[in-house]
Amino acid sequence: MAKHKGRGIATIEYPTGMNQNGDPSQAWVKLKPDGRVDVFSGTVDHGQGSRTIHSQIVADTLGVPYDWVTNDNTNTDSSAVCTGTFASRGTFIGGNAVRFAAEKARERILEIASRELEIDPSDLEIVEGEVVAKGAPDRKISVPEVAAAATWTHGELITGTGAALKPYATVNDDDGSVEIEPHSAISYAACVADVEVDDETGEVTVERLIQVYDVGRAINPTLVEGQIEGGAMMGLGLGLLEQAYPYYPSPEHRGGEFGAYLAPSLEHLPELDTVIIENPSAEGPFGAKGIGEMANNAQPPAIASAIHDAVGVWVTEMPATPERILRAIEEKKEPRREGKRVVFDDELSVRTVSSTGGKGFFETDG
Amino acid sequence: MKAVGARLPRYDGLAHVTGRTTYVDDVRIRGTLWVKALRSPHHHAGITRLETRRAEALPGVHAVVTHEDVPKNVYGHLEALGIPADEPLLAEDDVRYKGQPIAAVAAVDEDTARQAVDLIEIEYEERPAFFDMRKALDPDWPTIHPWGPVYPHYGPYNHRRVRKGDVDGAFENADLIVEGVYRPQAIEHCPIEPQTALVVPEPNGRLTIYSCTQALYFSMGVVAAHLEWPLNKLKFVGGTVGGGFGGKVDTASETICAVLALKAKRPVKWRWTREEEFLASSTRAPWHMEIADAVTSDGWMLGRRMLTLHDSGAYARFSPYGLTKHAFHHTGAYTIPNVHFDGFVVFTNRTPTTAMRGFGVTSVSFAVETHMNRIAQELGIDPLQLRLRNANRIGDTTANRVVLKDPSTVPVVLAAAERVGYDLPPEYASMTAERRSGDLLPEHLAAQQASADGGEA
Repeated sequence: MAKHKGRGIATIEYPTGMNQNGDPSQAWVKLKPDGRVDVFSGTVDHGQGSRTIHSQIVADTLGVPYDWVTNDNTNTDSSAVCTGTFASRGTFIGGNAVRFAAEKARERILEIASRELEIDPSDLEIVEGEVVAKGAPDRKISVPEVAAAATWTHGELITGTGAALKPYATVNDDDGSVEIEPHSAISYAACVADVEVDDETGEVTVERLIQVYDVGRAINPTLVEGQIEGGAMMGLGLGLLEQAYPYYPSPEHRGGEFGAYLAPSLEHLPELDTVIIENPSAEGPFGAKGIGEMANNAQPPAIASAIHDAVGVWVTEMPATPERILRAIEEKKEPRREGKRVVFDDELSVRTVSSTGGKGFFETDG
Repeated sequence: MKAVGARLPRYDGLAHVTGRTTYVDDVRIRGTLWVKALRSPHHHAGITRLETRRAEALPGVHAVVTHEDVPKNVYGHLEALGIPADEPLLAEDDVRYKGQPIAAVAAVDEDTARQAVDLIEIEYEERPAFFDMRKALDPDWPTIHPWGPVYPHYGPYNHRRVRKGDVDGAFENADLIVEGVYRPQAIEHCPIEPQTALVVPEPNGRLTIYSCTQALYFSMGVVAAHLEWPLNKLKFVGGTVGGGFGGKVDTASETICAVLALKAKRPVKWRWTREEEFLASSTRAPWHMEIADAVTSDGWMLGRRMLTLHDSGAYARFSPYGLTKHAFHHTGAYTIPNVHFDGFVVFTNRTPTTAMRGFGVTSVSFAVETHMNRIAQELGIDPLQLRLRNANRIGDTTANRVVLKDPSTVPVVLAAAERVGYDLPPEYASMTAERRSGDLLPEHLAAQQASADGGEA
């Protein structure tokens, strides 16, 4: 009876945007008469921070201070289409929509500034809230002055609209192939889990998670870390704790309250070591790729492998509850070896469990 | 100062942590009625009688609705993607999972609404229920879905397939074949804010719908389809959600509230109890994955055969989409030139499963990565070296014929190794994501590699 340390690794990839694309986001931007910026993007913020990210993207695209930017995502009357907050698409696709809208608004600002300064728009740029002549920085007009001129002198409204949509990628039903990329980008991650397994109680403690994520470009590193660390806890729940059906596949004894369902909590928090890599995407805003969903995918297999490293058993039915670990230690199952085949988990296979040996599920090519 | 790249505080963070954010349940409108639903107590049953008159007669009750009150009761969330409709908003002749909504009541308070639900007269004819996906094609399968045991609409097939290269050849040439079975469980989304909706009929004939949806326009489309209304008669208000994780794409409460509000001509609010959130709301799907990999003794992945069963629960909802996404990622962060993948969406009498963080891929990441570590152990090869060797590289072609432009398998593995002080031999430590060449371009990978101009193999 002892406690055993173990280490495991997993490497994963995950797409940005809906599989097969076809999921638009649209946005629009307008300037108030003092140059302050209203962004309307219908992207729901359910904690991932899209309102912050979208405001950052608009601020830098326009060239104005971040605190000039207001984000309204509150309703469908004032916001245009956003397919939704899912598929890790908010920063990339929603972010591109606000970026494109801000680029259009920037063009309008330069047009009005051009009239005021009598300089061609192509010779102007916006730097920290001021429109300045390239190479002649003393010839300038502030964005608030441009917005005021638009409103009171020229009788114009400075706006910009943007829409991001990658065309739908049809899949060939015969072989699963696609003609165009069925995603907006791919993000990658690696996770190393250090665990301690008690071979008497079957309890696993995750001591440390070292996590490396390529997010293309971290628009806001704090929020990226929030995704990675929050995701780590969800992954820990998946790997060790949570099950809607404790006697799966039986539906009985589902937990109907937090007291009867083991969600991860602060007591399970391991040491978290997070590394962000920036391998920019070609088409994302400022090179960004999605990070939201993949953040809970790498821990379960890293933990499963760490458990094997610690006590020599493979638990392939998630979560690795104390019961599953103790049973596995007791059974000390060996794979079936048959010529060059090594067959694990025979007893779980469709071939074993179905009454027909899996007829219909295998040999689908006739 | 540039905003991009800066550690700016969350836009709405202060409001969240000081309790000043307005969630749907914080919105109070004078005259609001409260909603409770009659839900199936059975996993599978026919409905032989449904009579709401006594419930309607209870003082304080303003409306009771059943499927007969819904203009278009059966609507598929993903009909636009060619996935036909199979799920009624309110059950019609049968119930196929425990907790399925059958009727709903709007009354002056939640207690009255609950009493009214108890007064709805209903009779069931219990039917055999089905739960183990692996037995779906057994001859004694009890009919639980008119489409049959599995989703039948992947073009001409009842499964999503991926085929590439010469899999039989890969298995013949392999030094070792490693087979394993992986079964991640269903889990709950566990949002702190349970499913909540408030629907207000406006004097101009519109409905204002306060919603906790993760997707305002998507959910507006769902409600509009059920009501057969144009979009200009609806206004969704939301954008701030108390936890979703995928479960709040379902649009589970808005439409029933809209039907009740129109019938009662009063604002109605429905806030699910924690028990409903756990037991009647959707879960992440349970998955069953069987992988057989053909490998060489020096650690090359030659081929993969994979069978996936995805537990959809009682209705299709988003599962056919999720399984296709799963299929597209079944080789993980690696390049495997010969594959044969079959995935089935299986119906059971479980609460319908739905999207959850990592939809379709969380499962396959668990299976593939655990399997990789088993292969490493069987071959006696360092698991990092196995990964680096087979890693996605620029110019590699995926199983569904996508040429990779900027894969990062190698950089993330190397960064993780460095962080934990893991020594790799120099030929591995110096690897990059660049195009394969030399020792890293063996014969079995030559054909799949895209030509230098980036064209397809």
